[in-house]
Amino acid sequence: MSDSRGQVETRLVYAHGLASIIVLFVSLLFGFFASLEMAAPDSLGASPWLTWGRLRYDHTQGIMLGWLANAFFAFLYHAVPLLTGRRVTSVRLGQWIFGLWNFAIVLPGWILVLAGFSQPLEWAEFPLVIDAFVVLALLLAAIQFLPPFFSRGLEDLYVSSWYIIGGLVFTLLAYPMGNFVPELVPGARGAAFSGLWIHDAVGLFVTPLALAMIYFVIPAATRRPIFSHFLSMLGFWLLFFLYPLNGTHHYVFSVIPMSAQIGAITASTLLGVDVILVVANLLLSLRGAGWLPRDLGLRFVATGTVFYLIVSIQGSVQAQMAVNQSVHFSDWVVGHSHLAMLGFASFAAAGGLIHVWQRIPWARYNAEALEWSYWLLLAGVILMVTDLTVAGLVEARMWQSSAPWIESVRAAGPYWMFRALTFVPIAGGFVALLAGLTTGDPGAGLAAIRDSVGLKPVSEIAPRLAIAESE
Amino acid sequence: MRRALRMSYLAAAVGGLGFFAMSVLLLGVWPGRALEHQIHATSPEHPLALSASEQRGRAIYAREGCAYCHTQQIRYLSSDVSRFGAATLAWETIFDYPHLWGTRRIGPDLSREASIRPEDWQFSHLYAPRALVADSVMPAFPWLFDGAPDRPRQEGRDLVAYLETLGRDRALAGPEGEAHARTACNCSDDERRFAFAALNASPAMARRTGEHPRLDASQDLSHGKELYAQYCAACHGLRGEGDGPGSAGLHPRPANLAEHEYTLDRLSASLWNGVAGTAMPGWRDLAPRDLSAIAQVVRGFHAVQPEPSLPSDVLELGARVYADRCAQCHGEKGGGDGSAAGQFSIAPADLRSGRPSMAASLRALRNGVDGTPMAPWNRELSEAELSAVAYFVRGFFQQ
Ligand code: HEC
Ligand code: HEC
Ligand code: HEC
Repeated sequence: MSDSRGQVETRLVYAHGLASIIVLFVSLLFGFFASLEMAAPDSLGASPWLTWGRLRYDHTQGIMLGWLANAFFAFLYHAVPLLTGRRVTSVRLGQWIFGLWNFAIVLPGWILVLAGFSQPLEWAEFPLVIDAFVVLALLLAAIQFLPPFFSRGLEDLYVSSWYIIGGLVFTLLAYPMGNFVPELVPGARGAAFSGLWIHDAVGLFVTPLALAMIYFVIPAATRRPIFSHFLSMLGFWLLFFLYPLNGTHHYVFSVIPMSAQIGAITASTLLGVDVILVVANLLLSLRGAGWLPRDLGLRFVATGTVFYLIVSIQGSVQAQMAVNQSVHFSDWVVGHSHLAMLGFASFAAAGGLIHVWQRIPWARYNAEALEWSYWLLLAGVILMVTDLTVAGLVEARMWQSSAPWIESVRAAGPYWMFRALTFVPIAGGFVALLAGLTTGDPGAGLAAIRDSVGLKPVSEIAPRLAIAESE
Repeated sequence: MRRALRMSYLAAAVGGLGFFAMSVLLLGVWPGRALEHQIHATSPEHPLALSASEQRGRAIYAREGCAYCHTQQIRYLSSDVSRFGAATLAWETIFDYPHLWGTRRIGPDLSREASIRPEDWQFSHLYAPRALVADSVMPAFPWLFDGAPDRPRQEGRDLVAYLETLGRDRALAGPEGEAHARTACNCSDDERRFAFAALNASPAMARRTGEHPRLDASQDLSHGKELYAQYCAACHGLRGEGDGPGSAGLHPRPANLAEHEYTLDRLSASLWNGVAGTAMPGWRDLAPRDLSAIAQVVRGFHAVQPEPSLPSDVLELGARVYADRCAQCHGEKGGGDGSAAGQFSIAPADLRSGRPSMAASLRALRNGVDGTPMAPWNRELSEAELSAVAYFVRGFFQQ
């Protein structure tokens, strides 16, 4: 165990972890400003740098490419060596990836968008120059993290490894499709590809890596193997089969051929079924951990799992024509996105981050702050998503009626105000998360593990997690 | 055993990549080909591409995130079609690199925005949306202007030029184009019904003529006041004096309602159809009951004053001047239907159903009505002629 732990590049874990939270705050501010401008237009003055559209672009790009991606990298630097018993390719390369990702992608991407250079494509708003760097960095990430899996042999990979390999490889394929193709293929035909990417960004990048974290943290923290390896693998393959086929459900009742729409809706329905399978397996693996696991990383991850279930079933439902016809284009969908990115992915990422942080021997750790973080974020997500869902229903009803358009805007006003206010618990929650990882005593995280369950090697409990042990 | 495993993982890897390739084929490439066929079959022969200025406008639309509040995609659904007009056909977006379909509607769909609103409305709206639409949450874009809504910079002009292209090609294709696409379209009956409905269903689009509902003398003054404050005060001002916050950049300026007397029928026509060529939109999305309540408020702005009676020789002078100088536009009987009336984008005032106060009438004659074909007459007519004809035209009014 000790030698495999020795292979974790803790400094890179730390760097990406810290970067993820700093970037998160900026992204959060972009989102808050945008929400404020809907609740109280003109409240931020009339500078082009603070106009709603540009803030909106930077908000989602920052959340996905800044916060989540950095958190994923932090996790990968911890998990890949443990899963494979091999070092990542190179620390030097890691420094390059870190620099590229934060200083050639996230930071300049934000600034360029604010300065007016962007693409009007969802989850692809950074301009093309930045996209080139993303593809390069993804390629480097593949070089950094994939060889350990292959040199170790693929024979007895744990399911997290599959998700990591899948996530890295498929994102590398899907990213250029979503970012470049619509620039080359016009109108409706380009939109068909955008639809694919809108879903692939979530389904092939965010979800696999978040699931990799969840599958990793649960056995490592509960010290019991996952409930069923078979179900894990079945879930994995079905996800990778179904996710890419969902794309067109973003354009139901459009001019895109009906058969493609129906195919996508069918895939969306099946996806919900598959997620039930995946989550059942995860929740069964959590048996005995209680409703509110004491291990904080585990608690975040477990809650993220429940959100994953809810958001996926919601997704299946809202893809159905009868539902889609009214809630599409409304705040309902914005609520759905926040349930996915904030409820599912961010809880998983925060849980994963806490988990790996605790295992950096010299990192600070403050359990009380993390406890606060959990409750504030939970309250924030639930309040915001409920609010937006109701707002969506109100808008949908207005749009179905013959009321003037502006009445739907007027009716949504109070909901937008409330949504802006949910910034308070959410920002508070993330401040507490930052405090949890930067205050407290150095090594307190590790000590907490020792005091509760002892530092037994993971391999005794979850053999697939520490294959290195068997060598 | 190891070998078998290794092979099975190789198969899995190939299969995994296969999934992705399949998704791209099934949901990207194949629909793309079907769309290409559809475009080929239904497009007019020479759809108008965007000019350089319109292209630049499109880039501004993209950069400011307009597409994240406005869709450009009318779905094949009655709720969409009845609000915005005929559903979007595949060929309508062939010049869009990249597409601007959008997935969220905070504001209305803009697929058919061309010709709904005049330029002065668009400029004023982009400059300060809440000056025209009190409850709007649309951001203001003052950096496209030189400090005033009627002083757009090149960027502002480009953006509005682009807005004027939205739906233009489909409108230009005309009835023949629609008929051609309708027969060539490979679509179901339902799809056909939505795709070839009325092209533009915007309740705001101003029309020069048309049926309008009969309004009643409403008693619901408080309801009317509320609606007036929500919908009209931005332009016409709370007291109806035509001086609302949105009035500054409009040409012509919003009517001074306090200086005018309108018949109920005229109000109904102007509210239902808007005033074509001006920023005054139609209000077809308001129920007749609401329109009646608003009309009552509008009529209330006008304080009835005792009419001075002028000597008959003055009236005769007025009649002569009118017949010479004014009738070709305003019509012999003052109905706004003179022989030349049809050639102007803004119709000459119908003086039978609306009467300006003496002061307003004189002002219109002296200064003209800015932004309309009504030119100033103070150089061509003597002071006596001016006041005579200003008085005379008020006599056309029929309560
Ligand atoms: C935050 C969302 C938002 C953004 C961003 C936005 N709009 Fe709007 N827009 C609205 C709302 C809400 C309305 C309806 C109220 C109104 O007319 O102001 C509207 C109305 C409009 C209308 C009038 C449509 C009609 O005929 O009734 C036009 C034209 C328009 N917007 C153009 C634009 C352009 C161009 C941009 C980008 C430069 C833009 N909008 C950006 C929210 C937005
Ligand atoms: C965007 C600004 C704007 C808004 C909002 C607006 N108007 Fe107007 N209105 C105008 C303009 C401009 C004119 C035309 C003046 C002219 O023809 O010289 C006009 C003209 C009129 C006229 C005179 C019509 C005629 O036939 O001569 C009436 C009456 C009127 N508006 C009532 C209303 C009412 C009632 C509302 C609210 C439901 C309203 N307006 C909303 C700008 C506006
Ligand atoms: C070229 C056609 C044309 C000619 C000639 C013309 N007018 Fe006009 N007149 C208009 C138009 C157009 C308007 C503005 C309508 C509007 O604002 O919507 C107008 C407006 C007016 C108004 C203001 C009406 C109101 O309700 O405020 C008066 C008064 C008027 N004209 C009187 C005259 C007189 C008197 C003459 C002859 C000396 C005359 N006009 C000649 C086209 C003409």
